[in-house]
Amino acid sequence: MITAEATTSRKPSVAANATLPVRAVNLGKSLDERPILQGITFDIAQGEFVALLGANGAGKSTLLKTLSTLITPSSGTLELFGHSPRHHAAKIRARLGLIGHQLMLYGDLTAHENLVFFGRLFGVKNPAERARSLLVTLGLEKRADDAVKTFSRGMAQRVSIARALMPDPELLLADEPFAGLDAPSTDMLERVLAELHAAGKTIILANHDIRQSLRLAGRAIVLRKGRKVIDDAASTLDVETVLHQMSGGA
Amino acid sequence: MTGTLSQIFTLTAKDLRIEGRTRQSLALVLVLGVLVISVLGLGLGSQPAIATMGTPAILWVAYLFSGVLCFEKTMAIERHDGALAGLLLAPIDRGVIFASKLISNLILMLGVATVITFVGILFFNFDLSPAPGGFVLIIVISMIGFAAVGTLFAAMVSSTRLQGGMLAMVLFPIILPLVIASTQQMTAMFRDGVAPGGAGLAILGAFDAVFVVVSWLVFELVLEP
Repeated sequence: MITAEATTSRKPSVAANATLPVRAVNLGKSLDERPILQGITFDIAQGEFVALLGANGAGKSTLLKTLSTLITPSSGTLELFGHSPRHHAAKIRARLGLIGHQLMLYGDLTAHENLVFFGRLFGVKNPAERARSLLVTLGLEKRADDAVKTFSRGMAQRVSIARALMPDPELLLADEPFAGLDAPSTDMLERVLAELHAAGKTIILANHDIRQSLRLAGRAIVLRKGRKVIDDAASTLDVETVLHQMSGGA
Repeated sequence: MTGTLSQIFTLTAKDLRIEGRTRQSLALVLVLGVLVISVLGLGLGSQPAIATMGTPAILWVAYLFSGVLCFEKTMAIERHDGALAGLLLAPIDRGVIFASKLISNLILMLGVATVITFVGILFFNFDLSPAPGGFVLIIVISMIGFAAVGTLFAAMVSSTRLQGGMLAMVLFPIILPLVIASTQQMTAMFRDGVAPGGAGLAILGAFDAVFVVVSWLVFELVLEP
């Protein structure tokens, strides 16, 4: 089981249901005076599965890093679970998970040790048991006690996904999680995301595969040059429309 | 408080487990320290004047270079594969990351200093017997301040593109007053037979307090994923 109910008795709080996981108003981010994100406004409700699409450099990763509290916005307002990251970062971080471009793992530790380590930092009950359960789910149980540095990129990526899922996050931010995965692993991750979605988790998935994203998500946000150009139900969009908007909409 | 201590313990145990498993940082740091002592030992010889008056300073030269390498290596572990971002995503205070890194660096540096000191004693015929306890006390107190500032600046330098030698350039001038105070304490102890204590230790303690508190406060500002 990918959610933590199997190993802990933690349940979503009333506040989690009452407040939006994400509320962004006129969000902007500049790096070296170059605007990366401009005027991004959206709300994401509990349990939504949102695909974040855009060409390279459109600002998807920056937006996810901002939502994860790793970087602070230059302008606008951001609220996560009703709290400002500026003042309640730890409270917010306890409720989200990020799968990023980087593995965020220690190569000299085993897959199981990595997961237990991050689980402890998040205060996960029975981190060893939860880690074993996730490694089984992600098909890594036979390599659980091997150092991550001995893994292929795809296997290490699966451990990284397990790391993000260790605290059973209410909001999962996934930045190209399918990168480096082979076909069976891709299929497995799709099932994991579907299971998380069915369990009421909120998911924001940045992905280059438009077709796959529109199939998985219920809603799509398309960025172009740091600005939001589409925010609509995924079922109303097709690949051509998204591509057209990503490339300039001319 | 228990949660904070538990987090510090978890992070420190992780650092030491990685170091114990790879021994890559410790081996390099030790080799550098022993090389520094060897080069200075072969160059200066083991004259009696150097043994009493110069050995504490020579040891500090080796501690300084080894320390820089040690602090760089322990922070490099966090930079590899973005592990630091994983830590920053955890619901922990960044001061906890500083405290754990400081403890890890302190433990490693005390181990390294033990070996370096032993090699220094051999090379310079340095007689530690008049005040072994005082020597250990001064080194331990001095290392706390050294590790605190080293931890801060290693984090700062690792988040810039100015790595490789940069840490030594920024760390040495700042740590110099502590090194001078520590060396003077040891020289007075071994040359003049002055027992450590009172004002001397108070000065070292004050350096520690300032370096630890300031580094802890500033660490949050310099830590970038």
